[in-house]
Amino acid sequence: MSSRRNFKPWAFILPGVIAGGVVLGVPVVQAFWTSLHRLRMYRMHDQVFVGLDNYARLLQDPLFHLSVRSTVVFSFGCTILSVIAGLAVASVMSTRGIRGTSAARFFMAFYLVPFVATQVVVGMMGRLYVWEPEYGLVNFLLGLFGADGPMWLISRDTAMWATIVTNAWRLTPLAVLIFYAALATIPEELLESAEVDGAGGWKALALIKLPLIRYHIGFIALIQLTSAFREFDTVFALTGGGPGRTTNVLSLLVYNEGISNSDMGMANAISFTMLIIVAVLSLVYMRLARLGDLGN
Amino acid sequence: MTATRFPRMAERGGLALRYLFLIGWLAICIAPVLVMVLGSLKDSSLFQSIPQLFSWDGFTWANYERSFRQGNYAHFLRNSMIISFSALFVVLVICTPMAYGITKLLSARTRNLIVFSVLATRFLPYVVLALPMYLFFARVGLTGTLVGVILAHLAMQMPFIVWLMLGFFASIPNEVEEAAVIDGASPFGVFWRICLPMVLPGLNASAILAFIISYNEFLFAFFLAGYDAQPLTVGITRFVGGADVGAQYGVVAAYGTLIILPIIVFALVVNRYIVSGLTAGAVKG
Repeated sequence: MSSRRNFKPWAFILPGVIAGGVVLGVPVVQAFWTSLHRLRMYRMHDQVFVGLDNYARLLQDPLFHLSVRSTVVFSFGCTILSVIAGLAVASVMSTRGIRGTSAARFFMAFYLVPFVATQVVVGMMGRLYVWEPEYGLVNFLLGLFGADGPMWLISRDTAMWATIVTNAWRLTPLAVLIFYAALATIPEELLESAEVDGAGGWKALALIKLPLIRYHIGFIALIQLTSAFREFDTVFALTGGGPGRTTNVLSLLVYNEGISNSDMGMANAISFTMLIIVAVLSLVYMRLARLGDLGN
Repeated sequence: MTATRFPRMAERGGLALRYLFLIGWLAICIAPVLVMVLGSLKDSSLFQSIPQLFSWDGFTWANYERSFRQGNYAHFLRNSMIISFSALFVVLVICTPMAYGITKLLSARTRNLIVFSVLATRFLPYVVLALPMYLFFARVGLTGTLVGVILAHLAMQMPFIVWLMLGFFASIPNEVEEAAVIDGASPFGVFWRICLPMVLPGLNASAILAFIISYNEFLFAFFLAGYDAQPLTVGITRFVGGADVGAQYGVVAAYGTLIILPIIVFALVVNRYIVSGLTAGAVKG
């Protein structure tokens, strides 16, 4: 025990805390400070304190309301879709006869492809080769079944769905991987005795396996939700926020206001509002899951 | 007897179905990439249908030639490599000792506080960081420099890598280090010679994931890098954004393939580390 007391953990931690403070802490404080000012990019020296004025303007801005709505639909859509797809694939992979085989390892390697694929390229690929109404992959496949696919990214009614599916495609591998690993930690004897009691197959999945990995499902849902919430790359390359402003999620609105309109005060007010939303989401989650149950 | 035999037979029939399902998902994962790669080898004006992509008609390397010549691929690739490798080096040098130190903190309260802040910053919306950095870099003249982009990547990677390494260090039994201390090793010696070799797989996983994340990153580079410091992700949007995108399917596909295919092949080769790294961050044991 005395050996542990001689240790100086802070010598190891301090450089990280300082670096984190500089590259993470300072920008966050600066974002809040700028959000309280009127600041135009082309008049940097002319920074006027306006209090919460930017936030007041924001709440009355129909474009902001529109973005909030698309962001909510987009984030929850991506989360639900990727968690369900992840559970489906992981459950099948972890059934007896497939789990632990080299076939399973082979599948898992290729299932990682959407996860490591460069997001902007995924967006462009989606626009030109997947969702393209006339020649694209999706409508080609629909055509095989005699269906006439919609205009996808061009139509206001379908653009959000195509955007959600594209991003969920990218998010699903993480869910598959974590759920598969979590399912593997369930002791085999437990499943066998359940089978003897008549709970095999679907019943075992619904009554034993899923409840046992509920913390992992919750954790992945939070990761997917927050990562879809801040998504910029995929949406920017896929739709650019259009058609109209139907897919103009908050990250894109920040770009519109801050870089395109050079209204830095407003842009920082939006991004700081995003930060507050994420903080609330995480706190709610931690209340529900208790931090102690999170892996470490 | 029958009661046990029937499920077995049903299981075998089910096995084929389950494989079919997994192959179907495999197709969903790779089909879009495959279509783009095939499209990159076609004369753009000839892209009229998916089946036609599988024929030899209109085969050409011209799209790749244009990507290298007009698209300046080599220049952007160089930036991408400098950014990704520098970011991963800085991140590992800072985050590995930090994660180690956190697991050695005696007070559970302080430890939980730090772990909590690491987790909280992991979910930060990136635009919150990108805008102030944009303003600050403009003031100090770091806009359009590689250093600026690398610093931004440090911010983006830190929470994730600390979180990842925490899991690996936490799995080292205390007795190992205590034995080393009794043998007269210094705190740094314990870290460097005893613990670091034990978390080598975790270090590999962190380095690989950090590289992939940096290589793919677009938002920060888009906000902060001028032409000289642009990585590939920004390069492609500027290159094809300027011209009529619809008219040059093939060039977009070729440039996209040049970005996406190397990282996919790399990931397939090292998939073992990606799997272990990502699972260590979320699954106990």
